[in-house]
Amino acid sequence: MPTQFSRVTVESLDRFRANLQSLVAEKTKSLPSLRYCDLRIQVREQKSAVAENGSDKASSEDCTFDFGVRAIAGERSSASGYYGRVLGTTDLDQLEDVIWDSIKQAHNRARANARHKSRARNRFPILGGSLNSSGLAEVPVCQDTVHANYTSDPRQVPLSEISRMAADGCKSIQSQGNNIVYSAASASTFLLRELYLSSDGADIDQTFAQTEGFAITICSSEHGNFELYDFTGHQKGWEILTEGYDNGPIVLPNFMDFCEALGSDAIEVAAAPPLKPPDKEVTVVTDPHFNTLLVHEVVGHPSELDRALKYETGYAGRSWFLKNMQDNQLGKQIASPLVTAYSDPTIEGYGSFSYDHEGTPARRAYILRNGVLEEFLNNRQTAAIMGSEPNGSARSTEAQLVPLIRMTNTIFAPGNQDPQSIISEVEDGYFIAGHRTPSIAESRENFRITAVKVYEIKNGQLGRLYRDGGMTSDSRDYFMSIDAVGSDLRVNPIPNCGKGQPMQAKRMSNGGPTMRGTARLTGPGSLSGNQRI
Amino acid sequence: MVSLTNLRRAVKNALAFTSSQPDVSEVEVFASAGRNLTVRLNYTSHIPSNGVEEPKSTEGYGLGIRATFNTTNGVKTGFGSEPADLSLNGVARALEKARAGAVTDPKFVSLPKLDSPQRPTRDTTSLANYDPALMKIGNQGLVKTGWSMMERGLEAFESSKDLLSLAGYPEKISELGLILGGDVVMLQDRMAIGSTHIPSIQTDQNTVVMSFATAMIETQSSKGSGWSVSSQLADFSGESAGEAARNAIASINGERIPTGEYNVILGPQAVTEILEWVLMPGLSMDMIFAGASPFIGKLGRMVASDNFNLYDNGSEPGMPSSKAITDEALPTGRTNLIQNGKLSGFLSDYYNYQRILNDPTGSEKLGADPRSVLESIAPRNGFRPNNGGGRNFAGIPRPVPTNLIIEGNRANNQEELLQLVGNGVYIGRIWYTYPVNGTASGDFSGTIIGDSYLIKDGKFAAPLKPNTIRMNDNVLRLINNILGITSKHRATVRWSSDQVTWAPQIAVSGYGLEEISGYMENA
Repeated sequence: MPTQFSRVTVESLDRFRANLQSLVAEKTKSLPSLRYCDLRIQVREQKSAVAENGSDKASSEDCTFDFGVRAIAGERSSASGYYGRVLGTTDLDQLEDVIWDSIKQAHNRARANARHKSRARNRFPILGGSLNSSGLAEVPVCQDTVHANYTSDPRQVPLSEISRMAADGCKSIQSQGNNIVYSAASASTFLLRELYLSSDGADIDQTFAQTEGFAITICSSEHGNFELYDFTGHQKGWEILTEGYDNGPIVLPNFMDFCEALGSDAIEVAAAPPLKPPDKEVTVVTDPHFNTLLVHEVVGHPSELDRALKYETGYAGRSWFLKNMQDNQLGKQIASPLVTAYSDPTIEGYGSFSYDHEGTPARRAYILRNGVLEEFLNNRQTAAIMGSEPNGSARSTEAQLVPLIRMTNTIFAPGNQDPQSIISEVEDGYFIAGHRTPSIAESRENFRITAVKVYEIKNGQLGRLYRDGGMTSDSRDYFMSIDAVGSDLRVNPIPNCGKGQPMQAKRMSNGGPTMRGTARLTGPGSLSGNQRI
Repeated sequence: MVSLTNLRRAVKNALAFTSSQPDVSEVEVFASAGRNLTVRLNYTSHIPSNGVEEPKSTEGYGLGIRATFNTTNGVKTGFGSEPADLSLNGVARALEKARAGAVTDPKFVSLPKLDSPQRPTRDTTSLANYDPALMKIGNQGLVKTGWSMMERGLEAFESSKDLLSLAGYPEKISELGLILGGDVVMLQDRMAIGSTHIPSIQTDQNTVVMSFATAMIETQSSKGSGWSVSSQLADFSGESAGEAARNAIASINGERIPTGEYNVILGPQAVTEILEWVLMPGLSMDMIFAGASPFIGKLGRMVASDNFNLYDNGSEPGMPSSKAITDEALPTGRTNLIQNGKLSGFLSDYYNYQRILNDPTGSEKLGADPRSVLESIAPRNGFRPNNGGGRNFAGIPRPVPTNLIIEGNRANNQEELLQLVGNGVYIGRIWYTYPVNGTASGDFSGTIIGDSYLIKDGKFAAPLKPNTIRMNDNVLRLINNILGITSKHRATVRWSSDQVTWAPQIAVSGYGLEEISGYMENA
């Protein structure tokens, strides 16, 4: 028969913090040719529920516990090795042994990797010259504890309340009309604690609260079923879904209102005729929700220095911002002077933190300032290669996975024009509202993004609504065409940005104000107007 | 890694314990141990790089329990899991989580039973999708796989007369901007399962090694790909990187083409990408319930060219994604999805199989009485995929493809497809190809990023310059406008998944291509 058992909580890490720091900073000195080592360990206590068509589907209260180690080692040449693992309650009694064994595994891999690198340099005298020792740019060595910010503790919310929130969310969607053929909603809230410990002496303890809602609906119409989904959430407690939140740029309705609006939008758009796009460029006014995805895909991603330095050539793609160290767009005008975009983990959002997963202090990084490319998002390794200052953009979704260069809260900065006047100045154009699905070119030099709603603009007034529309453009052409930037900044959560191998779906915030430029519109079917079958 | 014997014992003990609980009416115990070993590559001749960037791994083991509970509010179902503990304490924790999270799901009928047409018909241990050498690979072996790819790629670059000719001098080759990226992924997996309805404990173990390489000569904007997949370590040589480098060299001097409709040949990677991201979601039973499939109400009807066949087969011996059993303890098998152009079936797990059988509008949703088409909807694909592939004790089953196979009826070869196309484009590698107007519409967009060629007078004429064309089309139109399908197909892998598509080359008429990014010529 089972005995009484303990359980893992975020407080469990209190017991180990000092000993683990000693392990990483002191005991690793005994490992031959080790140059650097860091450990990330995290505990997440989470509650969640899913409902479908108004009925409960599943609910869960659970805890995840995992860690990841990086070692850089080598004699003539240095290289990295990594090791990650899922942990459980039984590991609490042997945690230091488990982690020490894992450090040795990562160190072993790093040494083997360094030996192969040295051999390759000798074996390929022409092409081996660019194989360099792994190095990290300097950052301040910090010791800090950062607490979570919430009103309603995620751990104290009854699971039944979370289930009810999901089911009621579905009902809110369904209440909008009889042609809603499907609805699903989920709600989750968690507390996450992360320790970052390094052989340099970094000792950082950060805790985050996070609450998220998701809703999807399918609506029937004579033009075919229309699918619409969206997320809401913030780095706060359960109050985000019960009460909503408004700090100016972040405006989150409570979950019932959020679901109601989603259902209402779906019904309105499903009934609209499919867009027949003009075969020429048109004036487009894009709303903050659409610009949330635009800045994410076409400004945030190409500013990630791992892409720019070709690490992602096989997967997430490169960046048109940088061909090589000599030939790149840094310091060049690649957007209208009205366009400024930055990534800032120190402001509120889904991508907020004080230190990234390499212990680098968070700071704002201007990607575009007045249309000029100013800075890439980096980690310590890529910053060392570029000779730039680390800006704290290395993050993973789970401690067992290797951190990647990620956006944080990445947004188009607001301008000072009244958003209504941006529309009213347009004689003949289109208003693109709400993002749906992106398809972006490999180096982010071209994009096609579909919208929830496309309205005609005639003589400064919104006209007919269309469905299945969107816009496409070469990236630089579009950004150079922007001639108006509104004052109505909105910042929205993006909970599922996929990158890496294995894939990591990361949370971050993106946003922007209303903007105006020129682009081509897209509609249903193929480019040439071949209709659907 | 935890042995099969220990997983089997844990499931047996857990089943006995959970079945004895007074409020438990049905229970299923799934235990697994898995490890993902990945080596990421990044070589750049013109930027300092590490060659092998990340030799790494993640691993975990544990058990997951699905149970139904008799409560004062009726029958409830729940799921709970516990990592790193196969003892009865771990079982008790997982069961308590399942109990705490249990809900009344009106669509739930029962935990999986052997009551579908898919019956065990063979010795499931004979699939041979397991390699002891791959299961035991150590740190040195892990790092070596990455460097063997790197060496094959650099050998191909350094021995290329074309690159030497372009550079002028050997020491100038690195200035051409040579890139070699990608990875090798090795998955090690063991599982055991038993339940109230299928109490005999069944086990399975699988290994797979997949590699995907991308090479570029960046100053020439040329790109090539190579890949491999097998369940046996001995089949891995790193040669996929050599293939990628050679393909990149072959596509130097790519040309642009203007916007228009073209006859095209889609190569295996392009076929795989469109199939898996755009077409397959609509062939999953859960999407029928969501109303998000273009195939609602069309079972038995023509939906594609009569030359098009698509099926999933998780039980074919020797195929890398074959499994002895599903993660619901049910036999794997072949599901015909589209046969001679006719919609023939859907991928299903047991939950969705029961749901459609008991749905008063099931006939409307399928286009046929569910009870008359049991073979078409049998639960052969209930899996609990881990991120990156493998089986995850902490997940609940859902419909997931295994080995997807596309076949034509007319056994064309590539030369015949080129003749059928006449003048057009061979599309070898595409990227970011998503259903842009929802999965039910079939509309998709993506870009062509390498391995592609212009076709003139039925012959390859010149490389197509990567990143200069956006595809805009509709997958339903595509599968209805097929000119030909090669009899030869290639096992093709997908990002962060162990799913394998056996993809042929497919010639299609009237494919929408849009010229893009002209400014990059001078950027």
